[in-house]
Formats: sequence, structure tokens, C-alpha cells
Amino acid sequence: MKENWRTAVHGPWPYWVGAMVLGGLNILVLLVRKRPWGVTTNLQDWSVWFAHLLGLASERIPVSQLLLAEGTYLNLGVVLGALWAALAASQWRFRPLRQRKFGFSALIGGLFLGYGARIAYGCNVGGLLNGIASSSLTGWVFALAVFLGTWIGAKILLKFLV
Amino acid sequence: MNPMVKNQRYWNWAFMSAMFFFFLLLAQINWKLALNLGLGVGLGFALEKSRFCFVAAFRDPILTGMTALSQALILLLGVSILGFALVAGSGQGYALNVYPLGANTIVGGLLFGIGMVLAGGCASGILMRIGEGFAMQMLALAGALVGVFFGERSLRWWQGWGWEQPGIFLPAKLGWLSTLSLEMAVLVVLWLLARWWQNR
Amino acid sequence: MEYYLDIWGEMCPIPIIKSQRQLKVMAIGDILVLETEHSCTARGLVVWAQKQGYPISESEVAAGIWRLTITKVHD
Repeated sequence: MKENWRTAVHGPWPYWVGAMVLGGLNILVLLVRKRPWGVTTNLQDWSVWFAHLLGLASERIPVSQLLLAEGTYLNLGVVLGALWAALAASQWRFRPLRQRKFGFSALIGGLFLGYGARIAYGCNVGGLLNGIASSSLTGWVFALAVFLGTWIGAKILLKFLV
Repeated sequence: MNPMVKNQRYWNWAFMSAMFFFFLLLAQINWKLALNLGLGVGLGFALEKSRFCFVAAFRDPILTGMTALSQALILLLGVSILGFALVAGSGQGYALNVYPLGANTIVGGLLFGIGMVLAGGCASGILMRIGEGFAMQMLALAGALVGVFFGERSLRWWQGWGWEQPGIFLPAKLGWLSTLSLEMAVLVVLWLLARWWQNR
Repeated sequence: MEYYLDIWGEMCPIPIIKSQRQLKVMAIGDILVLETEHSCTARGLVVWAQKQGYPISESEVAAGIWRLTITKVHD
């Protein structure tokens, strides 16, 4: 019992335990929000808000609306929850960028990832996991496309980053 | 734990107290936002503790031949499908993620797949790794915010192609029982395939 | 022989690919030592080595830094 408790706090959990817990929480999010968990819709609102500040977007999203959006707190919660999980196990540290090539790959990857997620209406969470969980055909097609994209990405990674 | 490791217990207590007060404050404004924050913290905690990674579930079978995380993702999909069917099938007013299907779904999926391998995390993975303190994923988030903006601007253009079809909600076409049996059968086949791939 | 592989700051799955390549050129009985600050990488390496049948020991040498020792027992 004590050993189990130690593993629960210190980790790592077996992958299947993580899957079960995430599945339960995913269903709870649906119950609370009346719509599934998603990440990039909220990121998009923040980025349009920021673009308006810079004068790049004409429409204005009031910051009060963003601060009262459920998605903001889900996203913030994921960051804080991971921070807490690392602190609880005494495993938190700032992990600086050690090689310049990973900085480029992060920026370019982020750009591709954000663009792709928004034209396909969802990321791995909103489009793939919850698209499939919603029994939508689009979710399955998106999953197939993501798998092919990952295959191309893996070739790029082998060529430039290893 | 190794006694050489510097204990972060006090930081942990300080963080938990701050979180507690933030949660109370938010609950005063709107209890639903506080509930969302709590669920988000739970998701982030579970993602970090189980080292769950959507990217690895797709990438590791290709690059290292490991499918442990792919099998976990299949389990997560199965749990979510059944849970969503139970919740949305028995209640009213749930807006599920049934999105239109078009060329943008395929192109978006391809770009998203390439991007998440290079960025070292998908959208939720990036957020989780920022919480863990990775500078690389902070850069990736900056890139993603720019990409999201361009995506939002060009979505209209993609829709203008005119061959985007309305999303198909499978239970409306096939009925709940056939949909669920079909999806479970696909997941079982994928799981067997993943297990075979790893033991190959 | 003991080998040390530099995987600092590298994201998954590059450390596993590098370990696969390194283990290939090592002789049976050799030991490979790796250090990483990436929690998922440490976990991924442990799961991978266990599946390959290589004994692996994992220890935390500082807050958020893992040292992994893999023994090559077979080809």
C-alpha cells in the first residue's frame, strides 16, 4: 500500500494506468463543459488577441472574455499540473536549450503544428482523441493523416536532427 | 530516492498553497472555471506522471519499433469512445467534436504530424513539457501561436475550395450498436497489429 | 568496457536511436551509461531495454536528472 502511494506521487505510472486516468478525466471534462477537451481552439483565441495588440488582426477579442473562457483554465491547468507533478517528485528543473538545431526544429515544428491543427479543426486532443471518441468519421481520417505526417516527420528527424 | 537529490518538498508545499488560493479565488468568480482548472491540473498531472505522449504513440513504432505507448493510446481511445457514448447517448445538450471533412483535414493532419515530431510534443504535450521546465517547448509554443494565427486566417481559403463535406456522425448513419462494435473491432485489430509490430 | 553516450538536451526518440547504434558496436558484457534530464526519455529507454532483454538500472542523481546503466548481455 505504501509502495503504491509512493509510485502514485513519485511515478512513473505504467502507461496503461495513465491511459485509464486520462480517459476518466476526459469523460469528466465532457460532463462539465458539455463539450470535449480541446487545446488549440483556446490557443487560437489568445493568438488572435495578441495579433490585435500588434495591429495584425482587425477583430478584437476582449481580454475579459479570454480570462473567463473555460479553455484558458484547462490549458493553464495542464501546465500547472505538470509542474506540480514534477515538484511532487522533486524532479523539477529548468531545462535549457542545449543545441541550436533543436531551437529551430521547435520553432518550425510549432508553426507547422499550429497551422495544421487549425485548418483541420483540432489537435491530437480535440481532433484525434475526441474526434474519434465522438464517433466522427473525420476523427479517423485525421488520425490516418497524422500518422502519415508523423512518418514524414520521422524521416526529417533522422536526416537533420540525429 | 537517492539521498543526494535535493528535496523540493518546500517548493511543493508553497506551490500547493498558492494553487489552493488561486482555486478558491477562481471559485468565487465562477465555480465552473475553478472546476475546469482542477480538471486541467489533473490532466497535466496524469500526463506527466505516466509520461504519456501522443507523439510517441505515432512516432515510436516508426523510429524505434516500440508500441507500448501506441497500445496505451488505443486503450485511451476505447475508454473515451465508450464513455462518450454513455454520456452523450444518455444526456441532452452535448456538443461533440463532429467536424467537416475535406482536403484541409488531410493536409492539416499531415502538417500537424510533421510539426509535432519536430517540436517534440503535440499541443497538450507542449503544455505539459512547459510545466516540466523545457525551454525547447516554450519556443515550440511561440511557434505554435504564430502557426495557429496563420491557420485561422487561411481556414476561409481552404473552405472556399468548396468540397468540404459536413462531418459524418457515425451513429446517425449506422446506429449506436453497429458503430460501437465497428470501432471496438478496429481498435482490437490495431492493438493486435501494434503488439505484433513490437514483438516482430 | 564502459561507454558513455552524450544525450544531453536531446528530445525523444534520438537517445534510443543513438543507444541502438552504440549497443550494436559494443561487445557482449560491455556497459553503456547515459544521463538525461528528460523524464520521458528515461522512461522510454527503460521500457525499451526491458523489452530487448538488456538489464537496465535507473537512478536519480540530482533533481530531475536520471542516470541509466544498460548492460549488453546478448546481440
